[in-house]
Amino acid sequence: MAKASTPIPEAHVHELYEQAESRTAQAFEELVSKPSFGTLLARSAENVAAVTRISSDIADLVLRNLRLAGRADVTRLAGQLHRTEDKLERLLQKVEELHDELARGRPSANGSSVVRTDTEPRRTKGASS
Amino acid sequence: MSAIGTLARVPRATFEFANVILTIPDASIGQTPREVVWTHRGTTLYRYRSSRREHAIPVLLVFALINRPEIFDLRPGNSFVEFLLAEGFDVFLVDWGVPGEEDSDMGLAEFVCDELHWAVRETLLASGEEELTLLGWCIGGTLCAMYCAMYPVGAVRNAVLLTTPIDPSGSLYARWVGHDEFDVDLIADSYAAVPGAGIDMANKLMKPVTNYVTTYRLLFQSILDGKDPRTGYQPMAKWVADNPPFPSRAYREWITWMYKENRLVAGRVRLRGERVDLGRIEQNLLVVTAGADHIAPPAGTVPLLDLVASEDVTHLDRPGGHIGLMAGSKAKHELWPELADWLSDRSGH
Repeated sequence: MAKASTPIPEAHVHELYEQAESRTAQAFEELVSKPSFGTLLARSAENVAAVTRISSDIADLVLRNLRLAGRADVTRLAGQLHRTEDKLERLLQKVEELHDELARGRPSANGSSVVRTDTEPRRTKGASS
Repeated sequence: MSAIGTLARVPRATFEFANVILTIPDASIGQTPREVVWTHRGTTLYRYRSSRREHAIPVLLVFALINRPEIFDLRPGNSFVEFLLAEGFDVFLVDWGVPGEEDSDMGLAEFVCDELHWAVRETLLASGEEELTLLGWCIGGTLCAMYCAMYPVGAVRNAVLLTTPIDPSGSLYARWVGHDEFDVDLIADSYAAVPGAGIDMANKLMKPVTNYVTTYRLLFQSILDGKDPRTGYQPMAKWVADNPPFPSRAYREWITWMYKENRLVAGRVRLRGERVDLGRIEQNLLVVTAGADHIAPPAGTVPLLDLVASEDVTHLDRPGGHIGLMAGSKAKHELWPELADWLSDRSGH
Protein backbone atom coordinates (compact mmCIF):
# COMPACT_ATOMS: atom_id res chain seq x y z
CA MET A 1 0.00 0.00 0.00
CA ALA A 2 2.77 2.36 0.94
CA LYS A 3 4.37 1.70 -2.41
CA ALA A 4 1.19 2.68 -4.29
CA SER A 5 0.99 6.10 -2.63
CA THR A 6 4.59 7.01 -3.51
CA PRO A 7 4.47 9.64 -6.26
CA ILE A 8 6.07 8.64 -9.55
CA PRO A 9 9.05 10.99 -10.08
CA GLU A 10 8.05 11.75 -13.66
CA ALA A 11 4.52 12.74 -12.67
CA HIS A 12 5.88 14.82 -9.83
CA VAL A 13 8.21 16.72 -12.16
CA HIS A 14 5.35 17.23 -14.59
CA GLU A 15 3.14 18.60 -11.86
CA LEU A 16 5.86 20.95 -10.65
CA TYR A 17 6.40 22.21 -14.20
CA GLU A 18 2.68 22.87 -14.66
CA GLN A 19 2.55 24.78 -11.40
CA ALA A 20 5.55 26.86 -12.45
CA GLU A 21 4.01 27.58 -15.84
CA SER A 22 0.68 28.54 -14.30
CA ARG A 23 2.36 30.95 -11.86
CA THR A 24 4.50 32.42 -14.62
CA ALA A 25 1.36 32.95 -16.71
CA GLN A 26 -0.30 34.78 -13.83
CA ALA A 27 2.78 36.90 -13.24
CA PHE A 28 2.99 37.87 -16.91
CA GLU A 29 -0.72 38.68 -17.06
CA GLU A 30 -0.25 41.00 -14.08
CA LEU A 31 2.78 42.50 -15.77
CA VAL A 32 0.97 43.28 -19.03
CA SER A 33 -1.95 44.83 -17.17
CA LYS A 34 0.28 47.53 -15.64
CA PRO A 35 0.13 51.06 -17.11
CA SER A 36 3.89 51.02 -17.67
CA PHE A 37 3.51 48.03 -20.02
CA GLY A 38 0.84 49.98 -21.92
CA THR A 39 3.28 52.87 -22.31
CA LEU A 40 6.02 50.49 -23.48
CA LEU A 41 3.66 48.93 -25.98
CA ALA A 42 2.59 52.37 -27.24
CA ARG A 43 6.21 53.48 -27.76
CA SER A 44 7.09 50.21 -29.49
CA ALA A 45 4.11 50.49 -31.85
CA GLU A 46 5.01 54.11 -32.66
CA ASN A 47 8.64 53.19 -33.35
CA VAL A 48 7.69 50.31 -35.62
CA ALA A 49 5.16 52.52 -37.44
CA ALA A 50 7.71 55.30 -37.91
CA VAL A 51 10.41 52.96 -39.21
CA THR A 52 7.91 51.32 -41.58
CA ARG A 53 6.83 54.69 -42.93
CA ILE A 54 10.39 55.89 -43.48
CA SER A 55 11.42 52.68 -45.27
CA SER A 56 8.24 52.70 -47.35
CA ASP A 57 8.81 56.32 -48.37
CA ILE A 58 12.41 55.57 -49.35
CA ALA A 59 11.39 52.54 -51.41
CA ASP A 60 8.69 54.59 -53.14
CA LEU A 61 11.15 57.39 -53.89
CA VAL A 62 13.57 54.93 -55.48
CA LEU A 63 10.83 53.41 -57.63
CA ARG A 64 9.58 56.81 -58.77
CA ASN A 65 13.06 57.90 -59.77
CA LEU A 66 13.30 54.73 -61.81
CA ARG A 67 10.07 55.83 -63.52
CA LEU A 68 8.25 52.79 -62.17
CA ALA A 69 4.86 52.77 -60.48
CA GLY A 70 5.33 52.69 -56.73
CA ARG A 71 3.02 51.37 -54.07
CA ALA A 72 1.44 54.78 -53.58
CA ASP A 73 0.64 54.99 -57.30
CA VAL A 74 -0.99 51.56 -57.31
CA THR A 75 -2.93 52.43 -54.16
CA ARG A 76 -4.14 55.67 -55.73
CA LEU A 77 -5.37 53.82 -58.81
CA ALA A 78 -7.10 51.17 -56.72
CA GLY A 79 -8.73 53.94 -54.66
CA GLN A 80 -10.08 55.51 -57.86
CA LEU A 81 -11.49 52.16 -58.92
CA HIS A 82 -13.19 51.81 -55.54
CA ARG A 83 -14.74 55.26 -55.78
CA THR A 84 -16.06 54.38 -59.23
CA GLU A 85 -17.49 51.15 -57.84
CA ASP A 86 -19.16 53.12 -55.03
CA LYS A 87 -20.84 55.39 -57.57
CA LEU A 88 -21.93 52.45 -59.73
CA GLU A 89 -23.41 50.65 -56.71
CA ARG A 90 -25.43 53.72 -55.73
CA LEU A 91 -26.53 54.22 -59.33
CA LEU A 92 -27.58 50.59 -59.60
CA GLN A 93 -29.63 50.83 -56.41
CA LYS A 94 -31.34 53.95 -57.71
CA VAL A 95 -32.13 52.24 -61.03
CA GLU A 96 -33.57 49.25 -59.15
CA GLU A 97 -35.72 51.53 -57.00
CA LEU A 98 -37.08 53.26 -60.10
CA HIS A 99 -37.65 49.89 -61.76
CA ASP A 100 -39.64 48.71 -58.75
CA GLU A 101 -41.64 51.94 -58.68
CA LEU A 102 -42.45 51.56 -62.36
CA ALA A 103 -43.42 47.92 -61.90
CA ARG A 104 -45.74 48.80 -59.02
CA GLY A 105 -47.42 51.55 -61.01
CA ARG A 106 -47.82 49.70 -64.32
CA PRO A 107 -51.14 47.88 -64.81
CA SER A 108 -50.93 44.26 -65.94
CA ALA A 109 -52.84 42.66 -68.84
CA ASN A 110 -55.76 41.75 -66.56
CA GLY A 111 -55.96 45.28 -65.19
CA SER A 112 -54.36 44.75 -61.78
CA SER A 113 -51.15 46.44 -60.77
CA VAL A 114 -48.02 44.41 -61.29
CA VAL A 115 -46.22 43.74 -58.06
CA ARG A 116 -42.65 42.54 -58.25
CA THR A 117 -42.56 39.06 -56.87
CA ASP A 118 -39.25 37.73 -58.05
CA THR A 119 -37.01 37.16 -55.12
CA GLU A 120 -33.96 35.77 -56.84
CA PRO A 121 -30.72 37.70 -56.40
CA ARG A 122 -30.26 39.86 -59.44
CA ARG A 123 -26.53 40.15 -59.40
CA THR A 124 -25.29 36.74 -58.52
CA LYS A 125 -21.65 36.49 -59.55
CA GLY A 126 -22.11 32.82 -60.22
CA ALA A 127 -18.89 31.68 -58.58
CA SER A 128 -19.05 29.17 -55.80
CA SER A 129 -16.34 28.80 -53.27
CA MET B 1 4.86 4.52 -19.49
CA SER B 2 8.34 4.63 -18.01
CA ALA B 3 10.50 7.71 -18.12
CA ILE B 4 12.85 5.95 -20.52
CA GLY B 5 9.93 5.03 -22.76
CA THR B 6 8.74 8.62 -22.81
CA LEU B 7 12.22 9.90 -23.58
CA ALA B 8 12.50 7.43 -26.44
CA ARG B 9 9.35 8.91 -27.98
CA VAL B 10 10.56 12.51 -27.82
CA PRO B 11 12.51 12.57 -31.15
CA ARG B 12 9.56 11.19 -33.08
CA ALA B 13 7.11 13.51 -31.28
CA THR B 14 9.37 16.48 -32.06
CA PHE B 15 9.37 15.56 -35.73
CA GLU B 16 5.59 15.17 -35.69
CA PHE B 17 5.19 18.46 -33.79
CA ALA B 18 7.23 20.28 -36.44
CA ASN B 19 5.09 18.72 -39.15
CA VAL B 20 1.84 19.81 -37.45
CA ILE B 21 3.10 23.39 -37.12
CA LEU B 22 4.54 23.60 -40.63
CA THR B 23 1.44 22.22 -42.34
CA ILE B 24 -1.05 24.56 -40.62
CA PRO B 25 -1.52 26.61 -43.82
CA ASP B 26 -2.67 23.43 -45.59
CA ALA B 27 -5.62 22.93 -43.23
CA SER B 28 -9.03 23.42 -44.84
CA ILE B 29 -11.46 25.84 -43.23
CA GLY B 30 -14.76 27.28 -44.43
CA GLN B 31 -15.72 24.22 -46.46
CA THR B 32 -19.52 24.41 -46.42
CA PRO B 33 -20.71 25.03 -50.01
CA ARG B 34 -21.82 28.61 -50.59
CA GLU B 35 -22.58 31.02 -53.38
CA VAL B 36 -21.69 34.63 -53.93
CA VAL B 37 -24.81 36.81 -53.77
CA TRP B 38 -23.31 40.27 -53.94
CA THR B 39 -19.96 42.00 -53.87
CA HIS B 40 -18.90 45.57 -53.35
CA ARG B 41 -15.26 46.64 -53.03
CA GLY B 42 -13.76 43.95 -50.79
CA THR B 43 -17.05 42.94 -49.20
CA THR B 44 -18.76 39.73 -50.29
CA LEU B 45 -22.14 38.42 -49.27
CA TYR B 46 -22.41 34.63 -49.31
CA ARG B 47 -25.43 32.40 -49.08
CA TYR B 48 -24.94 28.83 -47.91
CA ARG B 49 -26.58 26.06 -49.89
CA SER B 50 -29.34 24.24 -48.08
CA SER B 51 -31.98 21.71 -49.00
CA ARG B 52 -34.01 22.07 -45.84
CA ARG B 53 -34.98 25.62 -45.02
CA GLU B 54 -37.64 25.55 -42.34
CA HIS B 55 -37.45 29.02 -40.81
CA ALA B 56 -38.57 31.96 -42.88
CA ILE B 57 -36.32 34.62 -41.41
CA PRO B 58 -32.77 34.40 -42.79
CA VAL B 59 -29.73 34.76 -40.55
CA LEU B 60 -26.99 37.17 -41.60
CA LEU B 61 -23.65 36.44 -39.90
CA VAL B 62 -21.30 39.36 -39.29
CA PHE B 63 -17.79 38.92 -37.95
CA ALA B 64 -15.10 41.32 -36.77
CA LEU B 65 -12.77 43.35 -38.95
CA ILE B 66 -9.57 41.86 -37.51
CA ASN B 67 -10.04 38.16 -38.33
CA ARG B 68 -11.65 36.22 -41.13
CA PRO B 69 -15.29 35.09 -40.82
CA GLU B 70 -14.40 31.44 -41.46
CA ILE B 71 -14.59 30.95 -37.69
CA PHE B 72 -18.33 30.54 -38.30
CA ASP B 73 -17.54 27.56 -40.50
CA LEU B 74 -14.32 26.22 -39.06
CA ARG B 75 -14.38 22.57 -40.10
CA PRO B 76 -16.94 19.89 -40.96
CA GLY B 77 -18.43 18.57 -37.74
CA ASN B 78 -17.56 21.73 -35.84
CA SER B 79 -19.17 24.45 -37.94
CA PHE B 80 -21.79 26.89 -36.70
CA VAL B 81 -22.95 27.44 -40.28
CA GLU B 82 -23.38 23.70 -40.78
CA PHE B 83 -25.31 23.55 -37.51
CA LEU B 84 -27.66 26.40 -38.48
CA LEU B 85 -28.30 24.81 -41.88
CA ALA B 86 -29.13 21.50 -40.20
CA GLU B 87 -31.57 23.38 -37.95
CA GLY B 88 -33.35 24.68 -41.03
CA PHE B 89 -32.10 28.28 -41.18
CA ASP B 90 -31.34 30.22 -44.33
CA VAL B 91 -27.77 31.38 -43.66
CA PHE B 92 -25.95 34.35 -45.18
CA LEU B 93 -22.52 35.64 -44.27
CA VAL B 94 -20.93 39.00 -44.89
CA ASP B 95 -17.18 38.81 -45.47
CA TRP B 96 -15.34 42.14 -45.22
CA GLY B 97 -12.53 40.77 -47.36
CA VAL B 98 -8.89 41.69 -46.95
CA PRO B 99 -8.62 45.49 -47.00
CA GLY B 100 -5.66 47.03 -48.74
CA GLU B 101 -4.12 50.48 -48.57
CA GLU B 102 -6.71 51.68 -51.07
CA ASP B 103 -9.36 51.04 -48.39
CA SER B 104 -7.88 53.57 -45.98
CA ASP B 105 -10.99 55.71 -46.49
CA MET B 106 -13.21 52.99 -45.01
CA GLY B 107 -14.43 54.19 -41.63
CA LEU B 108 -17.05 52.76 -39.29
CA ALA B 109 -19.72 54.73 -41.16
CA GLU B 110 -18.77 52.99 -44.41
CA PHE B 111 -18.96 49.58 -42.75
CA VAL B 112 -22.29 50.23 -41.02
CA CYS B 113 -24.15 52.55 -43.39
CA ASP B 114 -22.86 51.16 -46.68
CA GLU B 115 -21.46 47.65 -46.55
CA LEU B 116 -23.70 46.23 -43.81
CA HIS B 117 -26.76 48.18 -44.91
CA TRP B 118 -26.38 46.98 -48.47
CA ALA B 119 -25.62 43.43 -47.37
CA VAL B 120 -28.90 43.48 -45.41
CA ARG B 121 -30.71 44.75 -48.49
CA GLU B 122 -29.22 42.06 -50.71
CA THR B 123 -29.97 39.35 -48.15
CA LEU B 124 -33.63 40.35 -48.15
CA LEU B 125 -33.75 40.40 -51.93
CA ALA B 126 -32.08 37.01 -52.22
CA SER B 127 -34.23 35.38 -49.54
CA GLY B 128 -37.48 37.05 -50.57
CA GLU B 129 -38.17 38.04 -46.98
CA GLU B 130 -38.84 41.43 -45.43
CA GLU B 131 -36.97 40.81 -42.20
CA LEU B 132 -33.83 39.04 -41.03
CA THR B 133 -31.73 38.15 -38.02
CA LEU B 134 -28.39 39.91 -37.58
CA LEU B 135 -25.86 37.81 -35.72
CA GLY B 136 -22.68 39.70 -34.90
CA TRP B 137 -19.60 38.53 -33.08
CA CYS B 138 -16.92 40.71 -31.45
CA ILE B 139 -16.51 43.95 -33.44
CA GLY B 140 -19.08 42.51 -35.81
CA GLY B 141 -21.51 42.61 -32.88
CA THR B 142 -20.71 46.26 -32.23
CA LEU B 143 -21.29 47.08 -35.89
CA CYS B 144 -24.63 45.23 -35.71
CA ALA B 145 -25.61 47.13 -32.55
CA MET B 146 -24.79 50.41 -34.30
CA TYR B 147 -26.81 49.30 -37.32
CA CYS B 148 -29.83 48.34 -35.19
CA ALA B 149 -29.63 51.71 -33.43
CA MET B 150 -29.56 53.55 -36.74
CA TYR B 151 -32.31 51.48 -38.34
CA PRO B 152 -34.54 50.44 -35.40
CA VAL B 153 -37.60 49.90 -37.56
CA GLY B 154 -37.38 47.81 -40.68
CA ALA B 155 -35.29 44.94 -41.82
CA VAL B 156 -33.81 43.56 -38.60
CA ARG B 157 -36.26 41.52 -36.53
CA ASN B 158 -33.72 39.82 -34.25
CA ALA B 159 -30.24 40.84 -33.18
CA VAL B 160 -27.81 38.39 -31.64
CA LEU B 161 -24.64 39.90 -30.21
CA LEU B 162 -21.84 37.53 -29.21
CA THR B 163 -18.98 38.72 -26.96
CA THR B 164 -19.45 42.28 -28.14
CA PRO B 165 -17.57 45.32 -26.82
CA ILE B 166 -20.03 48.08 -25.94
CA ASP B 167 -18.42 49.83 -22.96
CA PRO B 168 -14.78 48.70 -23.00
CA SER B 169 -13.58 51.29 -20.48
CA GLY B 170 -12.56 48.65 -17.92
CA SER B 171 -10.82 46.32 -20.36
CA LEU B 172 -7.12 45.63 -20.72
CA TYR B 173 -7.27 47.08 -24.23
CA ALA B 174 -8.47 50.37 -22.77
CA ARG B 175 -5.48 50.35 -20.42
CA TRP B 176 -3.16 49.82 -23.37
CA VAL B 177 -4.58 52.15 -25.99
CA GLY B 178 -7.02 54.36 -24.09
CA HIS B 179 -4.41 56.61 -22.50
CA ASP B 180 -2.98 59.75 -24.13
CA GLU B 181 0.46 58.23 -24.61
CA PHE B 182 -0.87 55.86 -27.27
CA ASP B 183 -0.79 58.01 -30.38
CA VAL B 184 -3.43 56.42 -32.59
CA ASP B 185 -3.01 59.15 -35.20
CA LEU B 186 0.65 58.31 -35.68
CA ILE B 187 -0.22 54.65 -36.30
CA ALA B 188 -3.16 55.46 -38.59
CA ASP B 189 -1.13 58.03 -40.54
CA SER B 190 1.80 55.64 -40.96
CA TYR B 191 -0.25 52.69 -42.13
CA ALA B 192 -3.02 53.08 -44.67
CA ALA B 193 -4.02 49.60 -43.56
CA VAL B 194 -2.86 48.72 -40.04
CA PRO B 195 -1.18 45.29 -40.26
CA GLY B 196 -3.28 42.50 -38.82
CA ALA B 197 -0.17 40.79 -37.47
CA GLY B 198 0.41 43.72 -35.11
CA ILE B 199 -3.13 43.54 -33.78
CA ASP B 200 -2.84 39.78 -33.43
CA MET B 201 0.37 40.18 -31.45
CA ALA B 202 -1.36 42.63 -29.10
CA ASN B 203 -4.19 40.13 -28.63
CA LYS B 204 -1.74 37.37 -27.79
CA LEU B 205 0.22 39.59 -25.42
CA MET B 206 -2.85 39.79 -23.20
CA LYS B 207 -2.08 36.24 -22.13
CA PRO B 208 1.53 35.85 -23.21
CA VAL B 209 2.45 32.58 -21.53
CA THR B 210 -0.83 30.89 -22.45
CA ASN B 211 -0.56 31.93 -26.10
CA TYR B 212 3.17 31.58 -26.69
CA VAL B 213 4.04 28.65 -24.40
CA THR B 214 1.10 26.65 -23.03
CA THR B 215 -0.59 26.15 -26.40
CA TYR B 216 2.54 24.60 -27.89
CA ARG B 217 3.37 22.63 -24.76
CA LEU B 218 -0.10 21.06 -24.75
CA LEU B 219 0.19 20.32 -28.46
CA PHE B 220 3.52 18.59 -27.93
CA GLN B 221 2.14 16.70 -24.95
CA SER B 222 -0.82 15.40 -26.94
CA ILE B 223 1.53 14.18 -29.69
CA LEU B 224 3.72 12.56 -27.08
CA ASP B 225 0.62 10.81 -25.74
CA GLY B 226 0.06 9.33 -29.18
CA LYS B 227 -2.84 11.54 -30.29
CA ASP B 228 -3.15 13.18 -33.69
CA PRO B 229 -4.06 16.84 -33.08
CA ARG B 230 -4.29 17.84 -36.73
CA THR B 231 -8.09 17.76 -37.02
CA GLY B 232 -8.73 19.84 -33.94
CA TYR B 233 -5.68 22.08 -33.81
CA GLN B 234 -4.77 23.01 -37.35
CA PRO B 235 -8.02 24.65 -38.55
CA MET B 236 -8.14 26.87 -35.47
CA ALA B 237 -4.42 27.69 -35.72
CA LYS B 238 -4.86 28.61 -39.38
CA TRP B 239 -7.78 30.86 -38.58
CA VAL B 240 -5.95 32.55 -35.69
CA ALA B 241 -2.95 33.29 -37.92
CA ASP B 242 -5.04 34.86 -40.68
CA ASN B 243 -5.28 38.52 -39.72
CA PRO B 244 -6.45 40.95 -42.38
CA PRO B 245 -5.32 44.57 -42.08
CA PHE B 246 -7.54 47.11 -40.32
CA PRO B 247 -8.34 50.07 -42.62
CA SER B 248 -6.65 53.06 -41.02
CA ARG B 249 -9.74 55.26 -40.80
CA ALA B 250 -11.80 52.52 -39.15
CA TYR B 251 -8.86 51.75 -36.83
CA ARG B 252 -8.53 55.39 -35.80
CA GLU B 253 -12.27 55.68 -35.15
CA TRP B 254 -12.48 52.36 -33.32
CA ILE B 255 -9.61 53.14 -30.95
CA THR B 256 -10.63 56.75 -30.38
CA TRP B 257 -14.38 56.33 -30.09
CA MET B 258 -14.40 53.09 -28.15
CA TYR B 259 -11.23 53.04 -26.03
CA LYS B 260 -10.11 56.64 -25.66
CA GLU B 261 -13.47 58.41 -25.45
CA ASN B 262 -15.91 55.56 -24.77
CA ARG B 263 -18.48 57.25 -26.97
CA LEU B 264 -20.81 54.41 -27.93
CA VAL B 265 -22.29 53.75 -24.53
CA ALA B 266 -22.65 57.49 -23.96
CA GLY B 267 -24.50 57.90 -27.26
CA ARG B 268 -21.84 60.18 -28.71
CA VAL B 269 -20.91 58.22 -31.82
CA ARG B 270 -22.09 59.91 -34.99
CA LEU B 271 -22.20 58.14 -38.33
CA ARG B 272 -22.90 60.31 -41.37
CA GLY B 273 -24.06 63.02 -39.00
CA GLU B 274 -26.61 60.83 -37.25
CA ARG B 275 -26.21 59.98 -33.57
CA VAL B 276 -25.93 56.29 -32.79
CA ASP B 277 -28.28 56.00 -29.81
CA LEU B 278 -28.34 52.44 -28.44
CA GLY B 279 -31.58 53.40 -26.69
CA ARG B 280 -33.27 53.23 -30.08
CA ILE B 281 -32.67 49.49 -30.44
CA GLU B 282 -36.09 47.87 -30.50
CA GLN B 283 -35.30 44.51 -32.07
CA ASN B 284 -35.58 41.21 -30.22
CA LEU B 285 -32.16 41.05 -28.61
CA LEU B 286 -29.97 38.19 -27.48
CA VAL B 287 -26.70 39.14 -25.82
CA VAL B 288 -24.15 36.42 -25.15
CA THR B 289 -21.14 37.00 -22.91
CA ALA B 290 -18.28 34.69 -21.99
CA GLY B 291 -17.19 34.54 -18.36
CA ALA B 292 -13.47 34.20 -19.16
CA ASP B 293 -13.44 36.67 -22.06
CA HIS B 294 -10.38 38.92 -21.70
CA ILE B 295 -10.92 40.72 -25.03
CA ALA B 296 -14.56 41.76 -24.53
CA PRO B 297 -15.19 41.12 -20.82
CA PRO B 298 -18.85 40.69 -19.82
CA ALA B 299 -18.70 43.90 -17.78
CA GLY B 300 -18.10 45.77 -21.03
CA THR B 301 -21.14 44.25 -22.76
CA VAL B 302 -23.89 44.14 -20.14
CA PRO B 303 -24.45 47.93 -20.00
CA LEU B 304 -26.23 47.44 -23.33
CA LEU B 305 -29.02 45.55 -21.58
CA ASP B 306 -30.03 48.65 -19.64
CA LEU B 307 -29.81 50.94 -22.62
CA VAL B 308 -31.94 49.29 -25.28
CA ALA B 309 -35.66 49.85 -25.79
CA SER B 310 -36.28 46.23 -26.85
CA GLU B 311 -39.09 44.45 -25.05
CA ASP B 312 -37.63 41.03 -25.77
CA VAL B 313 -34.14 40.94 -24.26
CA THR B 314 -32.24 37.78 -23.32
CA HIS B 315 -28.80 37.58 -21.77
CA LEU B 316 -26.75 34.39 -21.71
CA ASP B 317 -23.57 34.42 -19.68
CA ARG B 318 -21.65 31.21 -20.25
CA PRO B 319 -18.24 29.94 -19.22
CA GLY B 320 -15.61 30.23 -21.92
CA GLY B 321 -13.33 32.62 -23.71
CA HIS B 322 -13.86 35.20 -26.43
CA ILE B 323 -13.57 32.68 -29.26
CA GLY B 324 -13.78 29.35 -27.44
CA LEU B 325 -17.34 30.11 -26.35
CA MET B 326 -18.59 29.75 -29.93
CA ALA B 327 -15.83 27.77 -31.62
CA GLY B 328 -14.75 25.42 -28.85
CA SER B 329 -15.53 21.72 -28.88
CA LYS B 330 -18.34 22.13 -26.30
CA ALA B 331 -20.19 24.87 -28.19
CA LYS B 332 -21.93 22.42 -30.50
CA HIS B 333 -23.67 20.75 -27.59
CA GLU B 334 -24.12 23.73 -25.28
CA LEU B 335 -24.36 27.22 -26.74
CA TRP B 336 -25.37 26.53 -30.35
CA PRO B 337 -28.60 24.68 -29.42
CA GLU B 338 -29.50 27.57 -27.11
CA LEU B 339 -28.98 30.04 -29.94
CA ALA B 340 -31.00 27.88 -32.33
CA ASP B 341 -33.87 27.61 -29.84
CA TRP B 342 -33.93 31.37 -29.30
CA LEU B 343 -33.83 32.00 -33.04
CA SER B 344 -36.43 29.42 -34.02
CA ASP B 345 -38.96 30.98 -31.61
CA ARG B 346 -38.51 34.29 -33.41
CA SER B 347 -37.99 33.26 -37.02
CA GLY B 348 -41.49 32.42 -38.23
CA HIS B 349 -44.00 34.44 -40.19
